[in-house]
Amino acid sequence: MLSEHRLHPASMLFLFGRSLKLFALPGLLFLVAGRSSVGPPIPFGRWVPGDSQPGGEWQVWMMVLLIPAAFVAVARYLSFRVRYEGTELVIRSGIIFRNERHVPYHRIQNLEAVQNVFHRALGVVEVRVETGAGKEPEATISVLPAAAFTEMRRRVFEGRTRVGEQADPAAAFDGPAPRAAEARTLVHLPLRELLLLGFLENRGLILIGAAYGLLWEIGLLNGLYNRFFDEQSYAPGGVRLTLRTIRDGGSLPLGQIAIVLAGIAGLLVVVRLVSMAWATVRLHDFRLTRTGEDLRTEFGLLTRVAATIPLRRIQTLTIREGPLQRLVTRVSVRIETAGGGKLEPGARMNEREWLAPIIHPSAVPSLVREVLPEFDLAAVSWQPVHPRAFRRAVKPALFGTLAVMLPLAGLFNWWALVVLPVAIAWAILVARQRVRHLGWAATDDVVAFRSGWLWRSVTVARVVKIQAVTRLESPFDRRSAMARVRVDTAGASERSHRVDIPYLARDTADGLCSRLAVQAASTEFRW
Amino acid sequence: MSDPAPPIADGADHRLDPLVIALERTVAWIVTAVLAAISLPAVFIIWLANGLPWLALIALVLAWALVVAVLGWHAHYWPPIAYRYASYRVDELGIEIRRGVYWRSAINVPRSRVQHTDVSQGPLERQHGLATLVVYTAGTDHSKVDLGGLDHAVALRIREHLLPPGKSDAV
Repeated sequence: MLSEHRLHPASMLFLFGRSLKLFALPGLLFLVAGRSSVGPPIPFGRWVPGDSQPGGEWQVWMMVLLIPAAFVAVARYLSFRVRYEGTELVIRSGIIFRNERHVPYHRIQNLEAVQNVFHRALGVVEVRVETGAGKEPEATISVLPAAAFTEMRRRVFEGRTRVGEQADPAAAFDGPAPRAAEARTLVHLPLRELLLLGFLENRGLILIGAAYGLLWEIGLLNGLYNRFFDEQSYAPGGVRLTLRTIRDGGSLPLGQIAIVLAGIAGLLVVVRLVSMAWATVRLHDFRLTRTGEDLRTEFGLLTRVAATIPLRRIQTLTIREGPLQRLVTRVSVRIETAGGGKLEPGARMNEREWLAPIIHPSAVPSLVREVLPEFDLAAVSWQPVHPRAFRRAVKPALFGTLAVMLPLAGLFNWWALVVLPVAIAWAILVARQRVRHLGWAATDDVVAFRSGWLWRSVTVARVVKIQAVTRLESPFDRRSAMARVRVDTAGASERSHRVDIPYLARDTADGLCSRLAVQAASTEFRW
Repeated sequence: MSDPAPPIADGADHRLDPLVIALERTVAWIVTAVLAAISLPAVFIIWLANGLPWLALIALVLAWALVVAVLGWHAHYWPPIAYRYASYRVDELGIEIRRGVYWRSAINVPRSRVQHTDVSQGPLERQHGLATLVVYTAGTDHSKVDLGGLDHAVALRIREHLLPPGKSDAV
């Protein structure tokens, strides 16, 4: 029971590797900067013999700086201990400054294992323990043998239910849960779906942009350009030149335009292809399983991530679909938990909270039922917003259109006003469709909100997880006796779709607010 | 409002302590004075640096005086207006805070969601015997809800009331 576990000896390597990485970035920048500041390209490793160039000593200094890092790595390995007690996880670390951290099992939001290529080669995992507190993982245990992680997961989640039962019987989550530890697969994404996902989300541009920037910086592109284009055919300002030719009534350089257009088309295709490849690598073999009261997601080809999220930690659930997704009848489903989600807005945080990055809509109700048994997506009766909402929504849309279009027309030419009716019609269409797609629903256990016309989102927040309910009235709201109701939950991020219902009749808003407040007050919040 | 007998959780709407008007006025006056003191030399510098005629200086100073007068008017007349639209209600279930003259909001924090509370007093508040109650929740937008302009004793009593009963395992 009280036996202590050490880290895997390989953790020394990984810690040291992390320090190396810290040095690697400045080092690389230094190399690049050194290269591009000197005129002609120089092969790596050979420095211009100048008096100010640090040359060889610089690498020696790096080695000296790494010695303490090596000591730290060894010391950390020697001092780090993990212990499982009856109700808590105890982590000891430090030789000079000793630290003993107690993490109660039932406070653990999320137990996540990350395995990159090196980890997998050595059969170890990096474990992150997250509680609701703070913005970063409560503890990062790097690295444990893979078997030890399985052991940890078992112990933590068994210990948690033990605590839950004795502390408050209300914690018993409804639904058939006889602690049957068999895992059921809820979602599994085959290669075809991953390729489709990559095609839809079109992340390739970011990657290509990054790669392009890097290559540009290193100076590899110059040679490429020189090989493909002679000096005149592709020069900065080519677009401007072409426009000038058109204006002056000269003959069009059709060849050049064709090259540029082909280049753009080719780039678009390449972007999609890269995005598809990236999605395949990132989310390879995505699998969502349910074991008892836990959800487990696993994905990744090179870096394999396994996250475990207790079902009752789910704060909100959001279903999204964009126009392209609708074309191929797919949606995405994700959840939000309270643990450390605000650390980095980067991709990894998002992925971990995906129930299904891509799924056929017909499979969604059963998936939602699995996660939120108290909510039946198929049987929701959506309440519309106020009948006069369109009149409210269209005014700022028209005003904004005019505010943009009129100065533009004045600036260029008055014949640009031809575009104005089109823009106005579009603004009206968007306002009407948006208002039509607004909807809300409240049951005893959840409050749901949907919005968006081209990009649609549905968010379901559990009443138990509501932190505060706000009713807002702008001057415009008051003139038409309307109000807005906003529901605050833990763990929402900047970009998440929130329950924030505009254009409600004031009485409806009052009723909804006090109802939610009473419902929330009469339940005990448990992270 | 500061009767000792009635319970704090009476479920009725309460205004803030009227002393808050004086407090807000003092704060607004201080801000106005600081802004005025900083901007007057700036006006002179602009005039000197551009080599403008005397008439321009008079116009600039008049404009400055107008801005300061508007700020001063705002400092004097806004606090009572804001006071009229600020209220709170404490009941068995939680606390509701209303405020805003043009853009009105009513924030409702259930008692069972209160993580912890602060009662803080700045120097000016202390002079008026006022305090600010700060309620922390686990939420995102309203992880911190504050209610200023309470009588110190009232703030303490509301805090007592809001704190989760016993050693509940709310977190």
